[in-house]
This record gives sequence, C-alpha cells and structure tokens, in this order.
Amino acid sequence: MSTLSTDVLVIGGGATGVGVAWDAALRGLDVVLVDRHDLAQGTSGRFHGLLHSGGRYAVKDPQAARECVAENRILRRVAADCIEDTGGLFVTTPWDDPGYADRFAAGCAETGVRCEEVQPSQALRGEPRLNPRISRAFRVPDASIDVWKTVWAMSHGAQQRGARILPYHEVVTIDRSGDVVGGAVARDARSGDELRIEARVTVNATGAWAGRVAQMAGIEGVRVLPGRGIMIAMNHRLVNTVVNRCQMPTDGDIIVPIRTVSVIGTTDQHTDDPDDHTVPQEEVDRMLDEGERLVPGFRRARALRVWTGVRPLFEDAKADSTATRDVTRAHALLDHEQRDGVRGLLTITGGKLTTYRLMAQETVDAVCRQLGESRPCRTETEPLPGSESGEHYRLGERLARKEAELRGEQLICECELVPRSKLERAIAQTGSTDLDDIRRQLRLGMGPCQGGFCTYRATGILHERDGLRALEADASLLAFLQERWKGVWPVLYGDQLRQARLDEWIFQGVLGVERLPTAPETAGAGGASGAGGASGAGGASGLAPREAP
Amino acid sequence: MSDLIDMIEHGSLRGSLDHCVKCTICETACPVSNATPLFPGPKYAGPQSERYRVAGEPSVDASVDYCSGCGICSQVCPQGVKIAEINARARDALKREHGVPLRDRIITRPTWLGRIGTPVAPIANLALNLRPARILAEKALGVHRDAPAPRFAGRRFSTWARARGRERRADRATAPGAGPPDHRGLPRRVVYFHGCGTEFYEPWEGEKVVEVLEHNGFQVTVPRQGCCGLPLQSSGLFDDARRTVLRLARSLSAPLRDDADAIIVGNATSCTLMLKREGREILGLEDDPDLRLVSRRTYDICELLLALHDRGELRTDFRPIREIVAYHAPCQQQGHGIGKPALDLLALIPGLEVREMNARCCGIAGTYGLKAEKHGISMAVGRDLFDQVLASGAPTVACDSETCRWQIAHGTGRRSVHPIDFLHRAYGLDDAGA
Amino acid sequence: MTGPGPALDGPLHFDAVVIGAGTAGMTAAIRLAQSGARVCVVAKGVGSTHLAAGTIDVLGRIDGEERVTEPGAALERLIASRPDHPYALLGSGVVADSLSWFFETAAASSPRGYEYVGGLERNMLLPTAVGALRPSTLVPITMAAGEASALHRAAIVGTHALRDFHPSLCAANLREAGIEARPVFLELELERADMSALGIARRFDDPAWRALFCAQLSPALRSEDHVGLPAMLGLRDPHAALADLERRLGRRVFEIPTLPPSVPGMRLYEILRRALRSAGGRLVIGAEVVAAERHGERIAAVATRAAGRESHYAAPWFVLASGGLASGGIELDSSWRTSERVLGLPLRGVPDAGEPRFVPDFFAEQPLGRVGVAVDPQLRAEGAENVVVAGAALPGQAPWREGCGEGVALASGYRAAQVIVRESGAGAPAGARAT
Repeated sequence: MSTLSTDVLVIGGGATGVGVAWDAALRGLDVVLVDRHDLAQGTSGRFHGLLHSGGRYAVKDPQAARECVAENRILRRVAADCIEDTGGLFVTTPWDDPGYADRFAAGCAETGVRCEEVQPSQALRGEPRLNPRISRAFRVPDASIDVWKTVWAMSHGAQQRGARILPYHEVVTIDRSGDVVGGAVARDARSGDELRIEARVTVNATGAWAGRVAQMAGIEGVRVLPGRGIMIAMNHRLVNTVVNRCQMPTDGDIIVPIRTVSVIGTTDQHTDDPDDHTVPQEEVDRMLDEGERLVPGFRRARALRVWTGVRPLFEDAKADSTATRDVTRAHALLDHEQRDGVRGLLTITGGKLTTYRLMAQETVDAVCRQLGESRPCRTETEPLPGSESGEHYRLGERLARKEAELRGEQLICECELVPRSKLERAIAQTGSTDLDDIRRQLRLGMGPCQGGFCTYRATGILHERDGLRALEADASLLAFLQERWKGVWPVLYGDQLRQARLDEWIFQGVLGVERLPTAPETAGAGGASGAGGASGAGGASGLAPREAP
Repeated sequence: MSDLIDMIEHGSLRGSLDHCVKCTICETACPVSNATPLFPGPKYAGPQSERYRVAGEPSVDASVDYCSGCGICSQVCPQGVKIAEINARARDALKREHGVPLRDRIITRPTWLGRIGTPVAPIANLALNLRPARILAEKALGVHRDAPAPRFAGRRFSTWARARGRERRADRATAPGAGPPDHRGLPRRVVYFHGCGTEFYEPWEGEKVVEVLEHNGFQVTVPRQGCCGLPLQSSGLFDDARRTVLRLARSLSAPLRDDADAIIVGNATSCTLMLKREGREILGLEDDPDLRLVSRRTYDICELLLALHDRGELRTDFRPIREIVAYHAPCQQQGHGIGKPALDLLALIPGLEVREMNARCCGIAGTYGLKAEKHGISMAVGRDLFDQVLASGAPTVACDSETCRWQIAHGTGRRSVHPIDFLHRAYGLDDAGA
Repeated sequence: MTGPGPALDGPLHFDAVVIGAGTAGMTAAIRLAQSGARVCVVAKGVGSTHLAAGTIDVLGRIDGEERVTEPGAALERLIASRPDHPYALLGSGVVADSLSWFFETAAASSPRGYEYVGGLERNMLLPTAVGALRPSTLVPITMAAGEASALHRAAIVGTHALRDFHPSLCAANLREAGIEARPVFLELELERADMSALGIARRFDDPAWRALFCAQLSPALRSEDHVGLPAMLGLRDPHAALADLERRLGRRVFEIPTLPPSVPGMRLYEILRRALRSAGGRLVIGAEVVAAERHGERIAAVATRAAGRESHYAAPWFVLASGGLASGGIELDSSWRTSERVLGLPLRGVPDAGEPRFVPDFFAEQPLGRVGVAVDPQLRAEGAENVVVAGAALPGQAPWREGCGEGVALASGYRAAQVIVRESGAGAPAGARAT
C-alpha cells in the first residue's frame, strides 16, 4: 500500500468538498481529496441548477435568505463563467395563496433580497409561455449555475496549487488511534489498490452520507436525514428566467432554465438510504401537473429525463420531524474534538449549493484553528479558473464557437454541440474509459437524443485513442446506454418515446450491439457459420450498476 | 403586430423542435447543405441550434443566412418539425440585427422593378444582358454578373387580361360558356392570381392559363394585384413582407366574398404557396381574415386541373404531342403537399414522353441565386438537375415556377416552360391564335 | 372534417389510399397499383427506409434461439409459439411470396445491377459498424461480400472525416468473432467536418473520385482479400461503384451499414418510389393525415394537412402503414394513454393499468414494445372494416429484437394489397386507370 501525507484530507468530491479543497489550497495548505465516484456525482450533480437569490427563503428562513443574498453576490463575481444571469421571477398563480405575495415582498425587504414587483403583463412579455392568469409578479436576482463547471474549475484551480484530487477512491477505513483521526485508507475503484492518506486534519464532506463516514471513525449520532427529490429536464428552454411560484416552498414550484434545458423541481420525500434513486410515478405526475400550472402546455412539451437528488438535511436533535422540507436547510459544521472529543476530524453537511463557498470557508477556518495557523480565506475575491473576465456564461456560447469553426470542427454530440477535439482532450485528461465521466465534463449525450447518435461515435474514438481492447470498449458503450436509459424510462412518453425507439432501432436494428461479444444476452451463438463463433466470455463488468444497493 | 403575439407565435414554431429525433432525414434532402459547407444543414440550423437561441440575445450563427428557404426539409420531415420555418425566423432575427443590404431591398420588389423596366424594356433588357452593366451591378449591388436575368416582356399581362375581359363580356351576351357548369348549374368562376413573373416577364404563360381555363368552361376574373411578398420574406424582410402580402390578400379576397364558390388559381407556384401557407405560418399572420380566406381557396393551376380530371370534369380532347419533356417539380411546388399533379396531367397527353427529374432543387430559390455571394452555391445546387436534364435528351423542361425555369434555362441552355404550355398546345389552343 | 367547402374543394377519389411511405405502405401501394387500382400514398414525411440498414431482415432471433440461421424454418417455429405475432396472421407462404415479389419489383426498378440477394433458406451474417454480426435475409449486392462465413482477412476502411464509422472498433470486434480484421484509415479531404455517409456517397457516384479513393487505399492494403467500407458506395449506380472498386483494388468489397441517414435505405426508398410511379400510383409527401370521416364501421375519407387547408382523400379502402411507436403512428401521452394517432383505432398489447410499460434494463424486452393496432386475421382493423393494417403498426412484434421489421413490413404490405384486391372483387377494381 502506498502512502500520501498531507495537511488536509477531504472526503467527498461534491461542491462542498471540492470547495474546501479549493479554499484550503488558496490558503497554501496541502490537500488530498477522495471520492468514491467521480466529482459532483452525488447531490451536487443532481440538482436543478438554481443559484438562489434568497427569495425562496425570504419568508420561511430569513437567516438562509441572508446567506443566499451574500453568496449570490460573491459567486456572480468569482464564478461568473459558471453562472448564467437568467434573473428570476416569483409569480402568484390562481393556485397560490394570494396573501403570500405581500409577505414575500416584506420578507425580501427585510432580508436584503433585491426584489421588484412588476406588472403581470410585463412579466408575460419577457416569458410569453407563462400562465397568463398570474396576478402578481416579482423580479429577483435568481440565476442558474452549472455545478459541474464550478466543481471542475475549483478542482483544476486546487490542482494547480498542488492539491491532489482523487476521484474513484472510496474510503474503506478511517485511521483513528485513541482520540485522534490521522487520515484514512482509500481503495482505487479501478485498480483495486489501496492507498493510505495521512492527514493532520480530515474533513468529512460527504453530505447525505456524512453519518456513515462519521461512523467509520467511531462517531455516533451524526444524523443526516436524506430528503429525496425528483427533477425533470425538459428538452429546451420553456422559460429563460428562473420561475418560482410565489408561495411557501412546495413540490414542483420552480422551473430553472439551465444550459439547453429547463428543469422542473422538485419533490421531497424522506428516505433512509441516500443511494435511493427510485422515481415514483405519482411524483412524476405531480411535477407535470405543477409544470402545467406555471407553463400551460407543459405536459405536451418534451421531457428528456428524470433524476433524483438527495438533500443532506442535518437533523437537529431538538426538532424531530419526518417532513424533510421543514428540517433546517442551514448547514452544520461539527468539530468532533468539541463534540466527541476526537481530534483531527471535522464534518460539514447540510446546506445548499448556493452556500457551498461559505460552508467551505467556515470549514477551512476550523481546519486552521485545529492546526493552530492563521490563514485568511481568499475565495471571496479570487475568481475560479475561467471566470477571470467576470463575464457570465451565455447559452449561445457553444453555438458561437461552432460557428467560428463551422468547417473545421467535427461535432460528435450534435445535441449538445460537443466537438471531437474536446472529446479527445477530455478522454486524455480524465484517463477514464467511462463515457459517463466524459458526459459530466462535456454534456455528451445529454440532449434530446440521449446518446442515440453520439454513443457509437464516442466509443469509436475512445477505442481508437486509448487502445482499448474490444471488450472494454463494448462494455463502455453498453454501460453508457444503460446509464442513459436509467433516467429516460420513468418519464418516457410523447416525443421522447419516439426518440427512445429510434435509439433502440439504431443500437439493436442497425448496429446489433446486443450481439457484441460482451453483450448481456449473448449465449453461445449456436455455430451459425464458421466464423460466427463468438467468444462467450462473460464477466463484462461494465453493466453492473455503479450505485451499490 | 405586437411583440407579444410575435413571441407566442414564435413559441409554437419553436415548440415543434421537440418533435426532432435527430434522424437526419432533412439533411439528406437539403439541396443547399449538400452543395456547400457554408450552410451547416437544416437539422443543425433548425431544431438543433434553436435550443441555443434566446429571444433578445444577439444572433451568433450567421450561417443560417445560407439557407435558401426552399422548405424541402419541413416536407420530408416525418416527425413534424417546422424546420424551414424555424430557420426563416432565425434569419429574420439576424437581419433585424445586422440590417439588410440595399441589393436585397431592390431585388425583393418585383412589382417595383417591373413597373420601371416594362416601359423601357428594350433598354432594360439590354442592360440586364450587357456584361459591363452586370459587372457594375455586381460591384455596386452584389447581384451576381452571371445570375439568370429574366427579360422584360415589354407588355403587361394585366393589359391583355383587361382587353380580353371586355371581349368576353361582349361574347357572353351571345354565347354562354363552353364547358360544363358547376354544381349549381352556374358557370364556374375563378379568380386568376398571375403574380409578378407573369405580369412583367412571361405574360404568355398567363394567357395560356386563362385560355386553358376558359376551354374548360371557366369564367376567369383578373383583379388588380401586386406582389405576394415572398421575395421580401425569403430575404428576411418580414415587416415589408407582411404589408405586401396583406395588400394582395385584400384585393384577391374581394371577389371571394361576393361568391362563396369562387376560388383563386395561380400558376406561380411559390407565390400561391405564400398565399396558402407561408404568409400565415412564417410571417405569423394566422389571424388576418382576408389572408385566411384567400389561403383556404387558393389553388395551383395543375392542382385544380388534376382535381377536375379526377372528377371526370377535365376536357381530354388532347392532340398528340410527340416529344420528350423533362419535368422538374420545384421545391415550393412540393411545399403545397399535393404530390406532383403536373406529372399526372402531362401523362394525359398522348405521345408525350415525360421524364421525371429526380433532383431536389434547381438552386435559384427565388432571389437566392441572384446574390453575388450565393450564386455559385445556387449553380452547384442545380448541377444535379442540370445534368439530369442534359442526359434526358428532352429539348424542353416543364417546371411550375418561373424563377426555377430561368435558372434551368441558364444552367442547361434548354427551353423551360410551365406545364400549362403542353396542355395548351395539346388542346390545340395555339392554333386558335388567340 | 370541415364543412362543405367551395364546390371545387371536394375530395379526391381513389380505389385505395395508403397512409405511410415506409416499406409496408409502399409495398401495399405498388402491389395495388400493379393490379390496376388507382392508389395514392399520403405520408407525413419520408418513411422508415432512411433509418434502417437497407436490408430485408425476416427473422433474426426467436425465443430460445439467439441467432436464427434458417429463417424459413424458424418462421414455422415462431408461428407455432407466438400466435399473436404478425407472421402468425400472415403465414409463411405470404412471407415467401412477398420476397419473390420484392425480388421482381426491385429488379425492375433498381439502378442497373443493384440487386438483392439471399433467401429464406439461410440468413446471412453481416458485420455492423460496431463489428457485431447481424443476421439478414435479403441484402443488397453491395453488402453480400461481407458474409461472415466467407470473411477471413478483411481491411475495415474508414476516415476520420466520417464520424459515423469507426474502423478500429469494428475491426476489433470482428477479431473477437474470429475474423482477421484490420482497421485502415484514409485521410480524405472533404469540404465539411460533419460529413455523413450520404455526403461521401454522392462523391462515389463520380468515377474520378473513386479512382482517387482507390489510389489512396491500394497501398494501405496488405494480404486482405476483403475490403469493408461504410455503406456509402453511391446512390445513382452503386453496382458500378462496387465493380469499379473491386476491379481497382483486386479484392472483394462490401458495405457496412451505419448510423442514419442510411444510404442503402435511401436506395431502397428510391426503388420503391420508382416502382410506384411506374405502376401508376401517386405519392404525396409532407401530407400528414389530420382527420378522418367515419361512417359507422367504415372510414369514408381522410384529410391531410396541405398548405393552407386540408386535402381530402376518399376511397373504399385504406391501408394504415403509419408505423408504431418509433414513427409516432402509435403514441403514449403524458397522462399515460396509448393511442393510434391517425384514425384512433383500438390497440392491442398495452400493459394493464398499474403494470409497467418499461423496465429498468435497457436490453430487456419492454412491456409496451409489442403494442399495435388490433386486427383480424385479414389484417383489418377492429372497428374499421375497410382499413387494412400493415408494417410496424401491427401488434405482437419486436421489430429490432427479433430482427423482423422489414420482413413484417414487406409481407404485411403485400398481404394488405391482396386482401383489398380480393375483397373488392377479383381483377381490376372499378375505376382502374387505362394507361
């Protein structure tokens, strides 16, 4: 077993964990970060993309609203390139309590959320698909934020400053001797090799999984209540502004335009298992019904896919509840020295994407205290790599780039305008043979055809460049198809059903992927011809679902 | 039109992008993207790029201007995506932002050009065919020196029609219509929409249309009329196009209101398509009552004649014509969604050997091929058709659209006529010496 | 339908109207036209041909048999085990007859020498673009040399300029199947980066381009006796292109179907289109059926969306060949209602309420997958006695899993025409056109 030694070990590669690594690296600390999967593959990568203005908390949770106001301003500056300045609207529909609007306006005024009431007709001019029966409308500085881009930027920035970021490294033991945690042992999911990481301070930034990781260190009672919510991505921008229902936050009350899609969210169900990704049909139906109220015709529009995210809701021992939306969304930083008498371990959990930076700041402040060092936080002013110009992302960027290279650049994923050069670079940089890793980097296969056309192309390029064996490439292809299908089938109807059938036609009818040597159903071919004896070698691992039950 | 209506209308066209399954059938049929890499193709420019366009943000894809607007993509799409319409909207947005060249403001106004050119036809024709003048026009205006230029006929169809009308009124006092009456026992009435091509450049085609209709017992009315606005629309001058098509709808709808059974018939297939559909859908004029009335009652001449034949009401006293004729169905004709009626009509003429051309487009696309930066593309688009025409051995090409005929003649050196020419000849109306 | 329009706006009358321009619809229409009927095909757009491989796959897999070797014999076993399958309604005799008919018709309307080969006795195993071996019953001559049993040493040729074909992956999988295959990349200068096989196919129509192509390829070949290329050997005269390449390269050459748009599929469409035209049938593309006039159990006319208004098509017989879930002929809406979209006909094969429509395994059979229009043994739709159903709209099939899509399309289109001709009185129906 090889060993690394570092100041800070961060367990968890979500926005918070990578935020901690970026913050710590900026302060000159040496950092190692591990995650059992890829970065931002858990809760961070599974949300709707809202950068809160604070409006959603203005009435219910003024403290959270104030945090959002401050962080919204900071992130617009330091993570400009990851943010699209869509603006936000809160609208009162006929189904909303008409009295809430005034409380909302008052709450915004009190918490500092920049809020301007506009005439419904004016709101409708900007968003003509909105329900024309809205009676009140407020503009707020909501925006959409691309989490993956944010996380990659922080990860690259941290790496440039010496941090070692190790995805696909699952912590198997936490090294605790007596009352001191001295690091952890992680297993490389690809090679199976174990790696010991000695650290002066270990940060448990595993969100909804924080209780489990704390338990590995022998610490009980860190109770994180996973709240599961579904989100549905619609094929294009039904709205170009974040649209919220002006009411107490509830299911299906927000549509976020992010990148090429619009996402409706979300439900909120208590679950015992943070890896629970079930999508109950009644939740899908509820989302679609609520969508129809905000945007008439929503049910006829094309739904691409559905996914679930699991909120880490830290359960305050004093307030016990099973309705997770009522548990505080505030974050919790646990110094286990103070709490449990165990030195060298901190847990950061709860919170929300918009406040990830603040959470990281508070965490690294605590790290510095434990180390007895004074190192001021710089994330409030230091732009993330790529955001130096301070210019916000615009939806037309990829189209503009392709326009400039119209004849030179070959598109591999046509829906999301991913060119060959970017794909080849991502393959080289990640060293991954998993197309799903590439997808999170580039949005490969995330558009209307859901990989129908680009999966074969990308596999071909992967095979050629990486010198993979056929069986490995085939496994990548089949795993990606299965991964795409996972989010498609629970919300499959209308236009997307035609697409799914065309994709099936391409893969089964034209390419015959089910007849590949590694394919799931290949039995002995029955000696159809002299050359047809496929090697029945099973054992292709590519199809095993990555999320362990 | 208010911004609000515009955006809602835009929304519904945009909404059709949801039907796209990326099958690429539109790209197999697109004449332009198959001839030049400057246009990235209908799927790319349409449903694909539309997901990246935000109303109010600057256009970033000027390549959409290379779409010729032929509309084939929307016709072949088995999914129901309004590809050509999405592209037309994107071109409009581009033009609003970047402005429209003077050239486009001139060549998109055939009525205006015709009025100026007709009285001085010999001089105008000379100028249009004089090399130095054309070079000058290319330099000053961006109208390609080699682009097919029609010749002013020097007379106007409407002048002939008025004289004819007087003649007929005198005739009718003594002899009723020649053909079978309509279902009410009254003479059939049609309103003839001749378009600018017939008015200024090919009045004889209009004369033949009228004579063939009269031969079949129709009473033909020719109201005063102007341009349909299609050239303006296809160059992205939407506001001007709206005004123009509505003006035309006013004058054509008047006789329809007098007679609930009257219909409009036209031989300019792209202009009739403008009246039937494009004005309503692309320009967002669904709510205009005149245009809606006109749109429902407009027929392409071949569509009408074949429908009559299907009902056993078309006169078939055709004399044999022992010739080979190549037939090309223009893109805009295909946009009618009525098949290829000319092909079936020509097949009725004994002795006539009809060769159906299997090429997508002649390349001209209205005014597209006139533009200096696009003329080369337009000739490349037409190459396939030109080659097929030359290989067919046919001395004449029948084609429903005048700009396509000029392009075909330009590209092949063969004569190109409207299919009505052959029917007119087969009826023996040529000899009548009208 | 809208009320009575102007007097001239009556419906067009035909002996039969076919809805859909895929293989099934075109087959029915050609057969009808050949028997003297006045027939018109109306379709929303061009059909399934452009998406498929261009082969006629009759049967590739049945329960318990991973790979069907002898489709004719397997057909009997399928019919015995799946009485709800379209083949069980059609019977193996109709399948065989339809293939013979197809051979004849294709031969008469194909570009010179471009013929289909194969038969019900034995499936051919042909490489796909990913390098799997797929069973097909009839294949165009341009693919025939790829038959796996005769394929020993093959160069799999592609170019980076074509994103839809990846020789290294294809060759690697063929090696797994015991074929000595080697990828060869050519550096082709093409005018655009996003070139499809169709774009290159248009170049292959030009002998000069073929000469250049071969000049570049020849030196890269070694001991291979076969050369596999993505399916792009031209549209106008693919047989000449094939012969030209084989002569210049001194090796057998074969095409490998790849992602849509399918060049061999477009050739097939063109063959069918020509056959329809020469039999006197009409074809209207861009004409979606939006309404139907129904009198009790009969459809009197359908209305299509044409420019500006509806066009009405009246006929004593209709063939519904509008496809299944893939074409949208059958759809599932967001309230989970499944319906036949064109005429609103009753369906068969819809899972009961509460039962899953789809399952989490992508490769498993999907419960909704075999949905189709309920028909009687004569393929007549339940509740519409003058509507005969053909192709993917028929229930009980899994076109791609079973490798039977084109076979069912062809045989049911053929059968639909037969039913109509017989029912409307032997010989030419009334109103047959004298030509």
